[in-house]
Amino acid sequence: MSARGSGLDPITFELIHEGLVAAALEMGGVLKRSSYSPIIRDMEDFSCALFTAEGELAAQADYIPAQLGAMGLVVRSILTRWGLTLADGDVFLANHPYLGAMHTPDLNVIRPVFHAGRLLAWAGTAAHHLDVGGVNPGTEGPALQEVYAEGLLLPPVHLDRRGAEQADLVQILAANVRDPASTIADLRGQRAACRLGAARLLELVARHGALRVRAALAEALAASARATRAALLDLADGAASSEGFCDDDGRQGPPTRIHAQVRKRGARLRIDLSGSSAQVAGAINVPWASTRAAVVYAVRAMVQPDAHVNDGLLEPVTLVCPEGSVLNPHFPAAVSVRHNTCQRLADVLIRALSALWPERAVASSSTAFFAVNIGSRSPVHGGAAVLADVAGGGTGAHAAGDGLDGVDTYLSNVGLMPVEVAESQYTVRIRRTELIPGSQGRGQFRGGLGLRRDYEILDLPQCVTYYAEQTDPRFAPAGTAGGGPGRPSRLVRIDPSGREVAIPSKGTATFAPGSVLRVETSGGGGYGPVRRRPAVLRRRDTSDGRDPIESTPRQRPPARAARRARRTV
Amino acid sequence: MTPAVAGRAAAARPESERWTVAVDVGGTFTDAVAVGSAGARHVAKVPSTPDDPALGFLAALDELAAMGVVPGSVGLIAHGTTVATNALVAQRVARVVLVITQGFRDLLGYRGGSRPDLYSLQPAPPLELVARCDRLEAVERLDYAGRVVIPLTDGEVHRVAEAVAARGPQAVVVACLFSYRNDAHEARLARAIERRLPGVPVTRSAACAREHREYPRTATAALNAALRPVVGQYLLRVDAHLRARRTVGRMVVMQSSGGTVAAPRAEREAHRLVVSGPAGGVSGAAALGRCHGLDRLISMDMGGTSLDVCLIDDGVPPVRPEQTVGGHPILCPSVDVVAIGAGGGSLVRVDRAGRLRIGPASAGARPGPAAYGQGGTEATVTDAHVVAGTLGAATRLAGRLRLDPTAARAAVARVGRALGLDPEAAAAGILAVTLAQMTGAIRRVSVERGLDPRGYTLVAFGGAGPLHAGLLLREMGLRQVAIPPEPGCFAAAGLVASELRMDEARTVLWLLEPKVLPAAARWCRETARTLTRALAADGVDPRRVRLRWRADCRYRGQGYALGIPLGSGVRADLGGLRAAFDAAHLAAYGHASPQEPVELVTLRLAAHGPMPAAAPSPPASPRRRVLGPTPVERRRVVLPLARRAVLVPVYQREQMRPGLRLPGPALVEQMDATTLALPGQVLVPDPQGTLWLREAQGR
Repeated sequence: MSARGSGLDPITFELIHEGLVAAALEMGGVLKRSSYSPIIRDMEDFSCALFTAEGELAAQADYIPAQLGAMGLVVRSILTRWGLTLADGDVFLANHPYLGAMHTPDLNVIRPVFHAGRLLAWAGTAAHHLDVGGVNPGTEGPALQEVYAEGLLLPPVHLDRRGAEQADLVQILAANVRDPASTIADLRGQRAACRLGAARLLELVARHGALRVRAALAEALAASARATRAALLDLADGAASSEGFCDDDGRQGPPTRIHAQVRKRGARLRIDLSGSSAQVAGAINVPWASTRAAVVYAVRAMVQPDAHVNDGLLEPVTLVCPEGSVLNPHFPAAVSVRHNTCQRLADVLIRALSALWPERAVASSSTAFFAVNIGSRSPVHGGAAVLADVAGGGTGAHAAGDGLDGVDTYLSNVGLMPVEVAESQYTVRIRRTELIPGSQGRGQFRGGLGLRRDYEILDLPQCVTYYAEQTDPRFAPAGTAGGGPGRPSRLVRIDPSGREVAIPSKGTATFAPGSVLRVETSGGGGYGPVRRRPAVLRRRDTSDGRDPIESTPRQRPPARAARRARRTV
Repeated sequence: MTPAVAGRAAAARPESERWTVAVDVGGTFTDAVAVGSAGARHVAKVPSTPDDPALGFLAALDELAAMGVVPGSVGLIAHGTTVATNALVAQRVARVVLVITQGFRDLLGYRGGSRPDLYSLQPAPPLELVARCDRLEAVERLDYAGRVVIPLTDGEVHRVAEAVAARGPQAVVVACLFSYRNDAHEARLARAIERRLPGVPVTRSAACAREHREYPRTATAALNAALRPVVGQYLLRVDAHLRARRTVGRMVVMQSSGGTVAAPRAEREAHRLVVSGPAGGVSGAAALGRCHGLDRLISMDMGGTSLDVCLIDDGVPPVRPEQTVGGHPILCPSVDVVAIGAGGGSLVRVDRAGRLRIGPASAGARPGPAAYGQGGTEATVTDAHVVAGTLGAATRLAGRLRLDPTAARAAVARVGRALGLDPEAAAAGILAVTLAQMTGAIRRVSVERGLDPRGYTLVAFGGAGPLHAGLLLREMGLRQVAIPPEPGCFAAAGLVASELRMDEARTVLWLLEPKVLPAAARWCRETARTLTRALAADGVDPRRVRLRWRADCRYRGQGYALGIPLGSGVRADLGGLRAAFDAAHLAAYGHASPQEPVELVTLRLAAHGPMPAAAPSPPASPRRRVLGPTPVERRRVVLPLARRAVLVPVYQREQMRPGLRLPGPALVEQMDATTLALPGQVLVPDPQGTLWLREAQGR
């Protein structure tokens, strides 16, 4: 039964669990609304959670999936480092990717919760800050080679000791980041969220008793594990594998291979990532916490357990990946641009599981994940300001219909920065943001369309760091069940003279005023053979101008990229 | 019912009585309430007619006419309609052509660039308000300050107008980037299209919502354009029927903001009707509070499928400036309701992991809970009440439905077996978890906003609200509970008491410094004048128009702005804004930065005032001692939060005479709801027909 072995009746468990989830959500509300960084407030690149005393994730608010299961490893690092001296009122700060964090811009603020002098649980938040110092504005850089270049490294250290803020640490932090006012204000928001989480936990203790609350934290994990096992039992046994590539190694070197072998037997799932490339020179390596997040996402989306997200979800899953892999690198390999690799890992996992369970198969979504940091300034007050934006692509088609056009995919759900916000806060002009007709994978159901966005640099030369994937046509989003692939991504610099120059998918460069960075993201893969596309949808594709091949069959030459794709595959 | 019948009934009544009538069209029932100038009150409930909601509307009026509410003596009809909401849900909206700044034709296609469901790999695409082939671009561009970057030429205006006309749209929307700064380009394009297509409504984004962020502003305008023909035609149809019945009064329509708008204006403001569903009940709760001098209320509407909670802090329902419906953002004030999927019909199950789950799926009206005996076999919250005895075999739901305790018990027993509990314990568990969800919803509107619910009066309505009110009173230590006379058609009662309201907003993005205050004051003055004139034209006495000012502010660099009330005087209190913002930030987030520059993002004004025909409250009858009524039944009930069954007396609502003080435990049944008082609580009916529930000992 629900609370078997925990000495907790099923009703009391639900009452406490309701409170845990509400507390995590409430923490998220506090953090989001008081935030300075657009990446937290608009893009929701943060998470809030409660942990067992041992550091297992027990309840998390659903924000960005890239941070699924985040922080648990950080809590364990805190226990290892500070376990003997923990005190009520301590608050820890950490961002070290080799001590449980995901990449240096994600600052983790975590607070132990004590009851009657004993450690009861933890409340924590992780949030992506715009800049934590380092070589590049915005900290991230695909070509970086060591985490030392990726800004200030913080192993778990005290932000507060017994309720007192550690002024020295705040000073060090302020001296190392490009926008100290925002960073410190956002950190205080994170701390306020943790304080609230702790208070809510203690309210639950006051009401139900510490024993029951401890039991409920453990039971939450057990219930999610049972739900995953039950969902796995409903699915066919078997084994399958899939692979996919990142365009390069972050430094325009050879492609990076991501490989997954999945084997499902009974109520267990084994995921073996050993076939993936060894760690690479650039910053696209994935720290273990992020690899795990991609696995949680794929399991949740494909196995579909009827469960809350916590560490129990992965209990029936065995995850294998040798150290030294691009998905489990050795210190101090750089990791700041790990997200693109993570998106690819999610795609590879979903394709492998699609092969195992064809009834749930979907075509690939874009993993282009175009991201840009522009070291800009405010047109209003002239102060320095870093514009950070992300553009999505097409999602994969599926047995029930077409993909979505121009949205972020898989592990992230970051909105486009509104033009009216971008131009009011930074000296840029967004000249166009439009869907790319013909970029979708064709099929019985079409993939979503990719996006084209033009950033014009105004005023002064500006340092631009950008990265994307799938510019190599071999790696464009694949179709499923006979559907066609989406069109690859493309990055172009348009000089003030109007000359267009194709640029590699990742880089840092200075753009002169009047020049334009154009991104075209990949479209989603198609599902099923195109001859099965219903006539009514074909007509709409034509009339909507989404499918220029259909509307003007003779005019359109196949894209050069597509020709190349046929040669190489 | 035919008008002839209505006419006969009318002959029996004195001609002098004037009526205010409210008609609220819901998903299942259309409710109507009539309040006479001499204090008479009639209620009618008829089935809704989703294919043509006007028919249900008229059937309700005919029932009232049969009770003596003569069409010719109706001074005011207040109408709550779901016609806009349903059109959007059923995707039956007008064909719209969009004209937008060059380069942004697909703005409504990528919808801000994020997807609605993170974990679904098979998402259903949301309705496209404008088909891609009907999205046109105009060559023009403004910068962030509203300065022209690419001029809009006369030739371009002409070309665009012709291209729009060639598509034969039913409505047109024009959206230019930065039109919240400078709407000249939008206005020229719109004028040219109006001239070229007389009779076709043209919506400008800045006229619809003069706020920054191009996607929500354009989506709001597109929604307005898509709904205008739908709402316009519906109101014309209703109007024609009313004229045919010689109904003379004005009609007003409920908006999402909780205030009404004069029917002739409603078409232009179609997007403001989309989330008006919960507004009637909330404004009814606010009116009940005004009537009793209470300004701190929590409105709780619990029906079959959901629970809507709203905290009313100063007598006027709070609104939020933006709302999302079916994936479409709408920039217009909407009553700030927290809704959760917990209603009487919420399905109860034990999942594969052995966990008890309640809602959000609902058994709906059909088949409904197992106890309805209409073929439902899955347990619901209502079934748990039947097993506990709070709803009895003799209870009639909605006045007609007889409950089947055997079926309810069988359904709850199945849940119990999966949990290892007997049916009574399972029922108690279901009710305890439901109560936890309800307290969670109330905490979200109170504790999470830094407000202590203990000083608040709970106004409980909807079919299932009064059944849970006593439990919430005890659980949360609320001040008291008010249960209105007809909890099941309280939204209609709310319409009777609602006020006309108009809203205006403008994004300015000014650094908050003394030098910008005169410009802000000028906007306030001009907008106040415009809205007051408009309300006066719709029948509000200009001296009774009240203004409510707000300014959205943030520290420079922050993304979210905090809405700061600027008072309700003739002039906005701009001078105190800076200090008020720092204080509000401290209260909301625990920190403030009085040294940091503050940005004034958006100025907002709500103007509202009563309609002249608003009904008087009935005179209070003299208080006298009333003897305790005789219960119609004594029932064995396992009270929620208790372990053992006790005998609880059951009364009829008609027996609740003013002057009575009825101690709990007690159940009070009426056509559309059952009220539960726990031991230690006391029921106090008042002369206005409200039933008050309090802790006897002032716990």
